[in-house]
Amino acid sequence: MSDSLKASSTSSAIAASAIDSVAVVKSRLEASQYICSDEVATAVFLAYHLKKPVLIEGPPGVGKTELAKTAAQMFSLPLIRLQCYEGLDESKALYEWKYGKQLLYTQVLKQTVDEVLQGARGFAESVQRLHEFGDIFFSEEFLEPRPLLKALREKNGCVLLIDEVDKADPEFESLLLEVLSDYQVSIPEIGTVKATHEPPLVFLTSNNTREISDALKRRCLHLYIPFPDVELEQRIIAARVPDVAPELRRQLVRFIHSLRERDVKKAPSISETIDWARTLLLLHADSLDPDTVKSTLNVILKFQEDIESVQRDVPMLAQQARDA
Amino acid sequence: MDRLLASFIRALRNAQVRVSTAETLDAMRAVELVGYSDRATLKNTLGLVLPKTRDDKAAFDACFERFFVLKDAANVGVDRSIPAEDPPSLEQSHDPQAEAEEDGSEQRERGEGRGDSQGDGAGGGATSGGGGSERASAQAQDGESDGAAEPQSSLGKLLMYGDRMAIGIAIAAAGRAIGVHNIEVFTQKSVYTRKVMNEMGLLELTEELERLHRSAAVPERRLDLELTRRRDWLRDRVRDYVEHQYLLHADVTGKRVREELLRTVRLANADARSLRQMQEMVTRMAKRLASLYSRRRRISKRGHLHIPQTLRRNAGYDGAIFKLRWRSTRVDRPKVFVICDVSGSVAEYARFMLMLLYSLDEVLPKVRSFAFSSELTEVSDYFSAHSVDDAIARILLIHGGGSTDYGRAFMDFDEICAGTLDRRSTVIILGDARNNYGVTRSEVLKSIYDRCKRLIWLNPESRASWDLGDSEMQLYAGFSHQVEECGTLAQLERVVGRLLRGA
Repeated sequence: MSDSLKASSTSSAIAASAIDSVAVVKSRLEASQYICSDEVATAVFLAYHLKKPVLIEGPPGVGKTELAKTAAQMFSLPLIRLQCYEGLDESKALYEWKYGKQLLYTQVLKQTVDEVLQGARGFAESVQRLHEFGDIFFSEEFLEPRPLLKALREKNGCVLLIDEVDKADPEFESLLLEVLSDYQVSIPEIGTVKATHEPPLVFLTSNNTREISDALKRRCLHLYIPFPDVELEQRIIAARVPDVAPELRRQLVRFIHSLRERDVKKAPSISETIDWARTLLLLHADSLDPDTVKSTLNVILKFQEDIESVQRDVPMLAQQARDA
Repeated sequence: MDRLLASFIRALRNAQVRVSTAETLDAMRAVELVGYSDRATLKNTLGLVLPKTRDDKAAFDACFERFFVLKDAANVGVDRSIPAEDPPSLEQSHDPQAEAEEDGSEQRERGEGRGDSQGDGAGGGATSGGGGSERASAQAQDGESDGAAEPQSSLGKLLMYGDRMAIGIAIAAAGRAIGVHNIEVFTQKSVYTRKVMNEMGLLELTEELERLHRSAAVPERRLDLELTRRRDWLRDRVRDYVEHQYLLHADVTGKRVREELLRTVRLANADARSLRQMQEMVTRMAKRLASLYSRRRRISKRGHLHIPQTLRRNAGYDGAIFKLRWRSTRVDRPKVFVICDVSGSVAEYARFMLMLLYSLDEVLPKVRSFAFSSELTEVSDYFSAHSVDDAIARILLIHGGGSTDYGRAFMDFDEICAGTLDRRSTVIILGDARNNYGVTRSEVLKSIYDRCKRLIWLNPESRASWDLGDSEMQLYAGFSHQVEECGTLAQLERVVGRLLRGA
């Protein structure tokens, strides 16, 4: 098994032999303070070896973007990020011509052009002479690479994060297809640019505001990151906010979990748990007492109506969290 | 190609998870990478490569659990039927899980070998049965005073002396020999159970049982009872096995066959049991049509450069072009008026028609519906107040029944909608045009026909019976842009699809 694999991925920043099992990936992610389930580690492992992009879905704040960042850190590769939004098009994602430079150069070169055309008789001949110079203005010199193109041209490979791809228009997905399946883009004036060295490790994240097209999904590994279970979340807090006492950590994670079971508009996610742990640490709380919880509720709940509905039950929930 | 993986993917497709060929290849590469050795890793790996939505993932999980438990047991069993000459090994209880966690490559070999070694059906079973008989004779010598009788048939031997695993393999082998994976509908389960039993040598066993039954000797009678008990136990096992195979291979094949059937069955003939399934189909149909059509709309949002307007707009910038104007095509959403005959004979068709139209509210936001049997009423409000199912039920209850009067219905419609009907409206009339020999009022229909963009008449009856009896179809057809037969879901889909395209 490993022989063929090693051969296929030699010129990486890290030798392939270093990443030879899921467990290795997991422990390396953990070393970078990213605590995750086996499934997540498997996704990174497969993405690295199969050279396939990973589409990460899940509720906001479970560490989708963070995974890409951590992976970049773990492979010590640069991270190139493309934030998607409505109206994003190829001139912002792929490449753009440097119009300003083109204009400036035409002005500056006017003289030269005159020299070139000197002695040319008639229109046809002038055009003929101009043609001899080729498409100077549409060459690499005047090409402004945007994230996707930049990622392809990165010498030692990189991690490309296409964030919130569901926010972009459906047309943009079609644009991604060529990049994701063949690691190449076609620029009409120049030709096809291929990832010559090491193809980038691509992560796409989606919050599921709309369904991603089948064509895109087919080209990706599909990873769904749910809210973590109590144990995993405790380990995450332990890694991210190491100063929190174990007892408080246990209580606050339980409290968050009971909140997620309630019918709230936006359930608190891991990032909120971490923020809350930091807040409680600042307030020198050593256990969850109802008053502290009430005053810090706005850290974990982001809607006024959620806060109001939860506020009444705080003593009960805090008690449960302490007893559990 | 990896047979185990291939058959898993087939089972997955059966569970309605869409797996493309490209994904199959990815899965193979991924499995090559991680191997079969660790079940959890395998599940994670395949779970990343194959299912692409959360629903699919749930289906995948269920399928994986069912599939790999079964196969593990079968794999382990094959191995053990080989050293069957060594009787003590049969006695040891093997932990299937422990064996399953052995080196992945070995497992794979086994997976490939499995087809061959089990191909010769009862062979595996017979071997272990034979192995058992040696032990049995030893036992018989011990308990000579008991006078235990020896079963003669191979199945009898297997039942008496084979362990669970050996029997399991024999069942699987027999199942494969008769092609149990071809099972399609659940009513075939008992047939396949019997076939598997026969393949395993039931006939021989039955003969033996009869012989034993007639015999007077005590040991033989005792063997008879024991064998009968074990045969019944075996039958349960086989039934379970067939059930499993049915769930893995057939469930959806059967469903697909049924759906294909339902698409072309006349709606009025659909029985109550199929109704739910047909409603599901209508919802799916609507979803597909909606996504098809909304994509078209998006395309027409773009357009060519509108040069005059662009120049005019940029006049302020001294002719340097900063802002572009596009020539865009205006997309009209069709204004749809549906007139449904809800008298007894057509009511069922009206149900599906309305269901489909109102499931399309994403692309058809302006549907106004009218129901009539003797007089016509607008029923659009029902749909805003209630769920689609509910609204339809109410409409049929309140307005249904009564004898149809098309003439009156046209007059009423003309009165209600006189002002709103224009060149952008599409009028759909669903009815059998059976006017009970009443006044046809075709001139009213003509005036509606003249004012609207399209008038589509959908007749649920088959074309052959259109102009028989009190049907006025031929007359009305003259004042319709399009007349369609619309008796089945397939026809309904075609008509609505064309409506969306032409809009």
